[in-house]
Amino acid sequence: MKILAIDTSGLVCTVAVVEDDRLLAEFSIQHKITHSELLLPMLEQIRDRISLDMNSIDAIAVSAGPGSFTGLRIGAATVKGLCLATNKPLVAVPTLDALAYNMYGNENIICPMMDARRSQVYTGIYTFVPEKENENQKELKYSMKAIMPQSALSVEEIAGKLNEIGKTVVLLGDGVPVYRDKLDELLKVNYVIVPALSNRQRAAALAVLGGIYLREGKAQDSDSFSPEYLRASQAEREAKEKKKNSVVIRDMQAEDVTDAAILEKENLGSEAWTEKQLLEMNTRDDSVYVVAEKNGRIVGLCGLQIVSGEGEIFNVSVSPDCRRSGIAFDMLKTLIEKGTKKGCESYTLEVREGNTSARKLYEKLGFVNEGVRPGLYDNPKEDAVIYWKRKGTE
Amino acid sequence: MGNNNENIQRRTDEDGVIFMSVKTEGENQTKSSDEKDITILAIESSCDETAAAVVRNGREVLSNIISSQIALHTIYGGVVPEIASRKHVEKINGCVRAALSEAGCNLEDIDAIAVTYGPGLVGALLVGVSEAKALSFATGKPLVGVHHIEGHICANYIEYKELEPPFMCLVASGGHSHLVYVKDYGVYDIIGQTRDDAAGEAFDKVARAIGLGYPGGPKVDAAAKQGDPDAISFPRAKTSEKSYDFSFSGLKSAVLNFLNQAEMKGEEVNKNDVAASFQKAVVDVLTEHTMEAAKEYGCKKIAIAGGVASNTSLRERLQSECEKQGIAFYRPSPVLCTDNAAMIGAAGYYEFLKGNTMGMDLNAVPNLPLGDRERRYHGRSSK
Repeated sequence: MKILAIDTSGLVCTVAVVEDDRLLAEFSIQHKITHSELLLPMLEQIRDRISLDMNSIDAIAVSAGPGSFTGLRIGAATVKGLCLATNKPLVAVPTLDALAYNMYGNENIICPMMDARRSQVYTGIYTFVPEKENENQKELKYSMKAIMPQSALSVEEIAGKLNEIGKTVVLLGDGVPVYRDKLDELLKVNYVIVPALSNRQRAAALAVLGGIYLREGKAQDSDSFSPEYLRASQAEREAKEKKKNSVVIRDMQAEDVTDAAILEKENLGSEAWTEKQLLEMNTRDDSVYVVAEKNGRIVGLCGLQIVSGEGEIFNVSVSPDCRRSGIAFDMLKTLIEKGTKKGCESYTLEVREGNTSARKLYEKLGFVNEGVRPGLYDNPKEDAVIYWKRKGTE
Repeated sequence: MGNNNENIQRRTDEDGVIFMSVKTEGENQTKSSDEKDITILAIESSCDETAAAVVRNGREVLSNIISSQIALHTIYGGVVPEIASRKHVEKINGCVRAALSEAGCNLEDIDAIAVTYGPGLVGALLVGVSEAKALSFATGKPLVGVHHIEGHICANYIEYKELEPPFMCLVASGGHSHLVYVKDYGVYDIIGQTRDDAAGEAFDKVARAIGLGYPGGPKVDAAAKQGDPDAISFPRAKTSEKSYDFSFSGLKSAVLNFLNQAEMKGEEVNKNDVAASFQKAVVDVLTEHTMEAAKEYGCKKIAIAGGVASNTSLRERLQSECEKQGIAFYRPSPVLCTDNAAMIGAAGYYEFLKGNTMGMDLNAVPNLPLGDRERRYHGRSSK
C-alpha cells in the first residue's frame, strides 16, 4: 500500500511517500512560512527523485486540522486537486493525532500542542497501548489511544488535565516553546520535551496513520472534504456574541409558560399568576401574550385580553437583572401592534401609584392617567392608577 | 455583436451558497477548422465567488460555473475573508467537476489550467491557486497565472467575437477603478486609476449610509431609478487638468455630510434622490474620463468591465456618448461582469499563446499590479 501524505497545518511544510513499511521519501522544511510556494515544488522533487507515478498510490492523506487557517487550506485545496485529477481517495487525519503518532511506542502520556494564539493551544492527550494478538506471541503492537481528543484549550486547562492524570507527560509541537515557562509553572507532573528529530508535524507519521485509517475504511470523498478548524471565524464569533446578548420579543408558546410563571412569582409574589392561569390565557382567542427571550431564557412577559375592541394589559414583568434596557417598552409596543391587528382599539392597565418607573414607561407609550382605584393593592396597601390609551390618541 | 443568449440555471445549497451554471449560446466558430483548438480549464476564487469554466480558443464558453456566497456575507455587511476562504475550499472541487462535465470533457481534453493569482483576498486566492497547481502537477498540463482585472477586460472577447485590440477599457469594480488602454492581447497601459476609493467601494459605502444594505451596487442602481438625479448637486472631483485619475472619497464624504446635516436639521431624506444624484456624479466622472481618453488615444472602440460595468446608468450614458462620437461601445452582459472563471479562461488563452506559463512555486499575490509584465512573474516559468 502506497500513501502520499501532506501536512501544512503549522510551521512545517512536510510531504512523504510511504509504501508498506518503507518510507520512500520525506521532505520537511521549517524555515519561513511560504507553504504555498514550497509545497508543490517539494512534491515535484519527490516525484522526480523516486520516479513516483501518481497512479500507483492508493490514497492521499492530509492533515485535517486544526492549525493555521491558511495553512490548512493550502493543504486541503492541494490534496483536493490531486484527488480530483488522480481519482484517488482522500484520508483526513486529525492534525494532533498525527503529531502524537511521532511518539509511536511511548507508553507515557503524550501531549502534542500547537500555538492557537489568544492564549490557547490546539491540543489532545494520547498514549500507546501494547497489544498481543495471542499469548504465545512475543511481538507487541501498539495502538494509539486518545485520552482526550483534539480541542482548543487554554494552557491552564490542559495543564490541569495533565495534572489530574498525574503521570509523566511527553510534550511536543510548536506550542511547547511558546508556553514553556508557563507549563513549567503549571505542571505538577514530570515532563519530557521532545527534541528536534520528531517534535513537529512529520508527513511520515501522517502517512502511516493515514494507511491505518484507509485499512479501517475511513477514506472520504475529496469533493466534500473541508478542514476541521476547531474555531469559528472572528466575524462569526462576534456575530454569535452579539446574538447571544440580544433580546428576542415573540409570542408566548405553551413551553414558555413554566418560565413565565417563575418570572411572575419573582416579580409579583403573592399576586403572581400561576402556570395554569397563564396557560389558559395563552390558549384563548381573545388574548395575546408576548415574551422577551435572552440567551434562551424568558426575561420578560406581558399579556393582553381583548373585550369588544378594548384591551386590558396584564402581567407586565421583566426580570430584575434585565430592567432599564428597554425590554418592557419593546414588549408592550409589540403587544399593542399585535392587539391592533386583532381589532383592539383602546388599551387600559392598572399600576401601583408609587411605581414611578412603570408609570413613566406607560406615559411614554401614550397612556394617559384617567383615574384611581383606591386601595386595590395589598402588601403594602396602595392605590392603583388607571391608564388608558384610546383610539386616535397617538 | 453581443448576440449571446444567456441561460442561467440556479440552485441554492442548504448553506445559502448559490450555484449557477451559465450557458452562453453564441457564434461558436472562432477558428478555422485546420487550426488546433486550445481548451482551457479556468479557476477563479479571488473574492466571494468560487468559479470554474471551460473556454475554447479564448472566446467560446463551453461551461461557466459560479458558486456565489453573497447571501453568507450579507449579514456582515461585506465580504468576510475567512468565511469566503472556507467556502472556497468546500466548493472548489464541485465547481471544477461541474465545469468539466457541463463542457462534456475530462481533464485529458484540457490544454492548460488557468487561475487567478491576484489581486484579491490572499486566503481566497490561495484556494484556487493551490487547486490549479495540484491539477497541473497531477495532469502535467501547463499552468497559466491570470491577473483578475485582465480577466474582467477579456470578458469582452467572450461577448464580442470580433473585438480586437487596440481599445480603451474602463474597469470599475468593488476593488478597482482603472482606465486601461489595451494595446494588444495581454498588453495593458494604465492611463488612469483611482487615488482613493474604488467606484464600487463608494457605491457600497453610500448604500450602507442610506440604509440600502449590501451589496451596494445593484441596490443603489435600483433606488436611483426611482429618484431624481438632479435633486442634489454632489461634487465631481477633478484630480488635475491633464490626468485621467479618479477620486471618489470626496464624493462619498459629500454624501455622508449631506445625510448628517439633514439628520441634524430633522429633515426627511429622499433616499432615491440621494442614490440617483450620487450615481450621476460617479457616472459623469467615469464617462467623461473615458471619452476624453478615447479621444486622446484615437480609439474607435470603448469597452467596459468589472462589477460596476453592470450599472444600468453607466451603460446607458457611455452608449449614448459613444453613439454621438461614432465610437463602437462594448459591454459584457451582467453575468460576465461579475466575478467568473470564463473571463479568466479568455485571458489565460492569450497568455498561453504567448508561452507565459507558471512554475509550481506560483503564489497568490494580493496586490498584483496590472500590466506590469516584468514584475508579474511570481512563479518561475516551467518552460
